[in-house]
Amino acid sequence: MKLACVVHRYGADIAGGSEGHCRLVAEHLAARHDVTVLTTTARDHITWANHYPAGESSIGGVRVLRFPVVRQRHIHRFMDLSDLVFADRGSRDDEEQWFRENGPDAPGLIDYLRQQGAAFDRVLFWAYRYANSYFGLPLVADRAVLVPTAEEDPLIHVDAVGPLFAQPRGFLFLTPEEETLVSMRAAPGRPSQVIGCGLDPASGPADLSPLDGLGLTDPFVVYVGRVDPNKGCQALMRHFQRYAEHGRAVQLVMAGPASMPIPSHPSIKALGFVSDAVREALLTRARALVMPSPFESLSMVLLEAWNRGLPALVNARCKVLRGQVTRADGGLYYGNTTEFSAALDYLLDRPDAARALGGQGLAYVDREYRWPVVMEKIERVLAQTG
Amino acid sequence: MPEPKLRVDAVMSDIERDVRSRLRRHLIKRGGAAEYHDEELFELVRATLARAVEERNLDAMLLPELLDTDVEWRLQSHLSLSSHRPVAGRFILFFKRRVLLPLTRWLFEYSQDNFRRQDHLNRVLFACIEELALENARLRRDVAHAGTRRPT
Repeated sequence: MKLACVVHRYGADIAGGSEGHCRLVAEHLAARHDVTVLTTTARDHITWANHYPAGESSIGGVRVLRFPVVRQRHIHRFMDLSDLVFADRGSRDDEEQWFRENGPDAPGLIDYLRQQGAAFDRVLFWAYRYANSYFGLPLVADRAVLVPTAEEDPLIHVDAVGPLFAQPRGFLFLTPEEETLVSMRAAPGRPSQVIGCGLDPASGPADLSPLDGLGLTDPFVVYVGRVDPNKGCQALMRHFQRYAEHGRAVQLVMAGPASMPIPSHPSIKALGFVSDAVREALLTRARALVMPSPFESLSMVLLEAWNRGLPALVNARCKVLRGQVTRADGGLYYGNTTEFSAALDYLLDRPDAARALGGQGLAYVDREYRWPVVMEKIERVLAQTG
Repeated sequence: MPEPKLRVDAVMSDIERDVRSRLRRHLIKRGGAAEYHDEELFELVRATLARAVEERNLDAMLLPELLDTDVEWRLQSHLSLSSHRPVAGRFILFFKRRVLLPLTRWLFEYSQDNFRRQDHLNRVLFACIEELALENARLRRDVAHAGTRRPT
């Protein structure tokens, strides 16, 4: 088949969840299909400032067409409009304007879909919240497959989302929770699959030497990802500081670029952006992965941790994380500081039980998230949406 | 023979029971409601409030609809600038947008952040009231039904 994958940003150096998911799926699809990625020249997910050259290139064996962004995101205007729309006080025009302000505003990409969309057998769109999906999908609805990457945030309840979800011929979901959330508003009977994301088995024991000199002390628990209040990091550090007040000797390692101040605390170690080697070593040596995000459509880091047999401690208020942990029997969850402390105590005081939970997480990944399993599901939806 | 599976639900059930018990003791120690000496009563209260906080959809509640009268009560966390002056208004708005707002942006954002927190808290309180009203309505209906079924 001739396939197009439409995504707001694309590149080997882009760490974002839906962008990374798109890249992995596109590269695996390219083994059997003629795949073109349609994306923008943006790298920065806040401003959408142009970074990559426009035009054609090849990444990981996949043809990539980039279209320039004509207007950077005005973050204050966007936040003000978000307040209006999410409080259900905006008009339908305001809601549509929200997608425009969210961007990225790349009219060349939309024009390309309008003129060339029919040349593709299927057009796959990643992330419903961005302008390229909202304005692009209706142009090729008869061949569109949406990977919504929907979270239980206020946008999902906005009226303008209903007509968008009614249009694609098929859906690829990341978790059963996302499927439930979107299916309520999607046209009935459309082919769909819960695919998650594929992982290759971990390649033997990780080399721990990249951790030397980083100032880590055992035992430690690790957070991997963007250090951002929207990812629950503020709450995590608050919970952890309260936990550390009781004198427990354990370190919280924050591995990821920070977009918020990190408190200076003897038990909190911020590493900033880390290489893949450090990341692998952290996931091998840590006693648990902590995932505080209140909104997730799928946590790739959680799957990577389980791939290394590491148990997880996740925010119970995020249905997706709680659902993943419960289905896998691969970790614990917390809803407040007291539960956070009790669950962390359990994982630290009972290493055998913690190891068992991590092992069950690995078994779950083996069952559900290996590439042959994931690709078979995607192929089924591509075949059914013809 | 494979090792027996460690069930997350079972572990979490033990942890949550322990946390509830600690919370009850903590509240009693701090001079909380005397009724919390009764463990069963405490659990009923906790479960009612937890249902409101964790399970209610904060965007779909009855009380805000009933409050929606002529008097504006909602916190407005977005900023809209306008002027009633037909001629000078354009210049006033330009001054507000280009000079005043950038200079006071830090204060605006600080206030906006606090308004958002207050808005969330208001909605949680609405949810608690709604949960209590529902509980009350259910009990009233049960009592009424029990009254009609009483043998004469």
